[in-house]
Amino acid sequence: MKTFEEKWTAWIDGELSGAELAEFEAALPDRAAAEAEKGNAHKLGAFLKENMPARAMGNEEFFHHQLRQGIAADARTAAPEESAAARPAFWPIGRLVWVGATSLAIFCVCAFFVMREKAPTDQSQYLTQILNARVDPALGPNATISMFELKEDKVTVLWTEGLQSLPSEYATK
Amino acid sequence: MPRRFLLLIGLMVALIWGDVASAGVEQMVWSGLVMANNVAQPDKIPPELNRIEGTLKSWFGYNQFKVIGQSRKTLVTGSEDWLASSKYFSLLVDAKGETETGYRLNLKLFQEKSVLLETEARLSKASPLVIKGPQVGDGQLLLVLVIQ
Repeated sequence: MKTFEEKWTAWIDGELSGAELAEFEAALPDRAAAEAEKGNAHKLGAFLKENMPARAMGNEEFFHHQLRQGIAADARTAAPEESAAARPAFWPIGRLVWVGATSLAIFCVCAFFVMREKAPTDQSQYLTQILNARVDPALGPNATISMFELKEDKVTVLWTEGLQSLPSEYATK
Repeated sequence: MPRRFLLLIGLMVALIWGDVASAGVEQMVWSGLVMANNVAQPDKIPPELNRIEGTLKSWFGYNQFKVIGQSRKTLVTGSEDWLASSKYFSLLVDAKGETETGYRLNLKLFQEKSVLLETEARLSKASPLVIKGPQVGDGQLLLVLVIQ
């Protein structure tokens, strides 16, 4: 459906015909004023054609070259956007599942190796333990040995009593 | 995309490898012959004994602890042996392998050329071992082993 302005332009250019022309001309409020305006428009057109011919371009090749470069640049920037739009935003579900499964498998292997080194269950296992001890009977005939595990201090003490006392020169470095 | 996937796998392998490698890290054992006594103005306690200073003072009743012989041994296989010695005493430590929490050690305290004391212990990384030796003058000989 053409607007009034479109029909008006077409009427001035002589492009309306038949029923459309008759209908448009019947709808004109002032036919004489419209005809006068149409005549003025034609006169103006003829005047412009006579007095303002299209200026010849002195650097036509350069201008065409610039245009072609601009078009090529536009095509280049448009192409990556199209390919990015065509590509999925993230990994496809299948690949995500594979990555998840692989990660889980690696974690399980890692956990297996870590768990294989059994963690001590009893706190006393963290303390140093004396398995056995003995004193040379010749140097300490009456010597006795006791063992203490100081859990608060996390220190184990092997306590000997009755060893032969020695002179202070034995403290020399 | 496959390159990114390979990169991810490589990163994971590197992390696991780093974890496994760090699990087998070398440990250093400090072994010391310590002379404990009471003096009016005690010297500062050796840094190796800092963590057990309270235990030493409360259990043995001395205020000064001086190192008369020591050895630092980095254990790689857990089967090394070493000696910490002073002029008259020597402590021979023979590591018999690694345990869950530390090392199994055979200890021999020599007084000159005689074995005064012999013991076998499982030395824990978290727990130092202190052995009360003979009375020396007005002080006491102590043997200390610490995994650092």
